[in-house]
Amino acid sequence: MKISEIVESVRFSLQSLRANKTRSSLTSLGVVIGIGFVVLMGWSLNGLEQAWEKTISIVGADMMYVDKWDWAGNKKWNTIRSRKDISFEQVKLFSETNTYAELTIPLLRSWGKRIGYNANSIGGIAVMGTESSYGQTSAGNIEQGRFFTEFEEERTANVIVLGSGVASSLFPNADALGKSVKVGKFSFQVIGILEKRGFLFMDFIDNQVFVPLKTFVNYFGSSRRSYSIAVKAFSVAGMDQLREESRGYMRNVRGLTANEDDDFSINESKAFDDNIKDIRLYIWSIGLGLTFLSFIVGIIGIMNIMFVSVAERTKEIGIRRALGAKKSSIITQFLVEASLLCFIGAIVALIGCSIIIFIGKVLIVKFYPDLSFISGYLPPSLLLIASSVSLFVGVLAGLVPAIRAANLDPVESLRFE
Amino acid sequence: MQPIIQIEHITKVYEMGTEEVHALRDVSLTINPNEYVAIMGPSGSGKSTLMNMLGCLDTPTSGIYNFKGLDVNDMDDNDLAEIRNKEIGFVFQTFNLLPRASSLRNVELPLIYAGESTSKRKERAIQVLTNVGLHDRMHHKPNELSGGQRQRVAIARALITNPAIILADEPTGNLDSKTGIEIMKLLDDLHQKGNTIILVTHEEDIARHAHRIVRLKDGLVEVDEVNPNPTVY
Repeated sequence: MKISEIVESVRFSLQSLRANKTRSSLTSLGVVIGIGFVVLMGWSLNGLEQAWEKTISIVGADMMYVDKWDWAGNKKWNTIRSRKDISFEQVKLFSETNTYAELTIPLLRSWGKRIGYNANSIGGIAVMGTESSYGQTSAGNIEQGRFFTEFEEERTANVIVLGSGVASSLFPNADALGKSVKVGKFSFQVIGILEKRGFLFMDFIDNQVFVPLKTFVNYFGSSRRSYSIAVKAFSVAGMDQLREESRGYMRNVRGLTANEDDDFSINESKAFDDNIKDIRLYIWSIGLGLTFLSFIVGIIGIMNIMFVSVAERTKEIGIRRALGAKKSSIITQFLVEASLLCFIGAIVALIGCSIIIFIGKVLIVKFYPDLSFISGYLPPSLLLIASSVSLFVGVLAGLVPAIRAANLDPVESLRFE
Repeated sequence: MQPIIQIEHITKVYEMGTEEVHALRDVSLTINPNEYVAIMGPSGSGKSTLMNMLGCLDTPTSGIYNFKGLDVNDMDDNDLAEIRNKEIGFVFQTFNLLPRASSLRNVELPLIYAGESTSKRKERAIQVLTNVGLHDRMHHKPNELSGGQRQRVAIARALITNPAIILADEPTGNLDSKTGIEIMKLLDDLHQKGNTIILVTHEEDIARHAHRIVRLKDGLVEVDEVNPNPTVY
C-alpha cells in the first residue's frame, strides 16, 4: 500500500462526502451520539474519582480506626451490637503496647446533638471527645484557628473545634473564632475550624465538633459509650503491618482466646472503596451498554450508506480498476471514506461535549461550589480514545462494503450506467 | 521484433443460467509495436469481449495470451492491474472520466496507482494535457467541457503512463462527426509518433484510419487484412 494512495483516498473521500453533505451528516450522527456518550461518561467518572480521592485523602490514607462498630457494614448487626464496649483502660493498654503506630488517639462520640449560637441552632451534630494529638492527623487539619492543647485538655477547658459544615451553617456570614456556642446546655468557646473534608455523599463528616476528652466525659459521661481508637501509621506503606499488629494487640487487650472471633473492627478509608467500586461499576456498565448500543446503530447506519455508495459508484470503481487500481486500492478507498465519516463524527462529538462540559462546569461552580475542582476540559486521553475508537468503528463498518466493491467485476462495472 | 500481443486459439464462454454463450470461439491474433489495428464487427460478433481480453480486464476460457512475452493466464488480479496500469491506455466511448475531479486529477489517476510522487504526477499530467491541446482546461471538471474535450482528457489519461498500447473502444461513438474527425486526427498523430493503437469500432469510415483491419463474426476472425489506403485528414 502506497502512502500516496492513502493521501489520494482521503482527498477523494472528502470530495465524495462533500458531494453528499446531508447524507454524510445524518450518517455520522450515530457516531456523534456514541462518542458523546463515551466522553461525557468518562468525564463524569473522572469527576467522581476526583471527589472520591479528595474524600479519602481527608479521612486519611494513613489512618485506621479500631472500633466496636464496623464501617463496611457487611457483618451482622446483632453480632456487632452484642460486642462489649471498648473501655478507656483498654485504649490505654493498646496504646502502650502498640509500637507500630505513630499515634494512638482515643475518641468518644455522641450522636445527634444540637449546637446553637445566639438564636441559631442546628441538630444532628456528632460531638467528639478526643485528645490534642488528633490535631496532628490529617483528619484534624485546621482551616482557621487551632486545635486544643494538652494543657486545655488537662484543665478540662470549655473549648471546641468545629467541623467546616457546622461552622458554615452556624456562622454563614460571621467569623466563628472566639464566639461562644452551646452544645446542649454547656457553653464552649470556638478556637478552631477544621478543613472541609467530605464531598458528595460524605459530607456528614463535616458535621462534627471536637472537644477535649476529659471535658466530654465530664459533660456527656462515658458510661455505655464505647471508645474508638484512631491509629496513625508512620507511613501509608506501613498500613498492612500496622493492621495485623494492631489486631494482635487488640485481641490481647480484649482477652480473646485463639478460637474466638475478633470482637472489634479495624476500619479504614479502604472500607469505602468497596462502595465506590460498585457505584463506578454501575455507571460504567450503563454507560458502556448505551455506548455499545449507539455504536451498533452507528455502524449499521454507516455500513448501509457505504453499501449505497458502492452501488452508486460502480462505474467509478470500474474506471479505477481499468486504470490499474488493485483490489487493495479500492478497499483502502472505501475504508478511508467510512473512517473519515466516523472521524468527522468524533470531532463534532468532541466539540459538542467540550461545550457541554464547559457549561456544566460553570453551572457546577455556581450551584455546587464544593465540586468546583471538577475539570471543565476534556482529558487528553479521552480525545485519543474517542478518535481511535471512531477510526476503528469506521473500519469495522466499511470493511464488508469495501470488500464487495473490490470484488466487483471490472468489465461489468464499466458497463454500469 | 517481439510482438506486444500474441493470442492463440483463445475462447471465451459465458454461462447465462443453464445456457453457454460462446463469445469467442477461436481467435488468434498478433499485434506488433507501432501497429494501427481496427477490430470491426457487428454487435454480438465478440469484439467487446476481445477488447476486454486484450485490455486484461478479463481472461480467456482457453487459449494462450502473451503480453510482451508474458503469459497473461498465469497472472493474478494484482499482476493484471499492474499491466493495465503501466502497459494499456484505455479510451472509452463514454469517456469514463470521474465527474467530480478536474481534468488534471483525472489524468493523474493512473500515476497515483503507479505510486508516482505528487510533483512528478502533476508535471507529467500538464505535459500530456498540453499535448492534446487542453493546457487551458486543466482545472475544469468534465461537466464544464465539451464532448470532444472530454475525449481529449481521456486520451491524455491513456497516454500518461506511456503505455505499450492504446485501446480505443468506439472513441467517436458519442461525438458529432466534426469532433469525431478531430479525435481521429489525434489518434492518427499518436500513431505517427510511434504509439501502438487498437481501435474497436463498428463504423467503416473510422476503421479506415487504421493500417490493418480485423473483422470478427460470431466469435471468429473472418478477415485480417492490411488497409492499403488509410484515411488521412
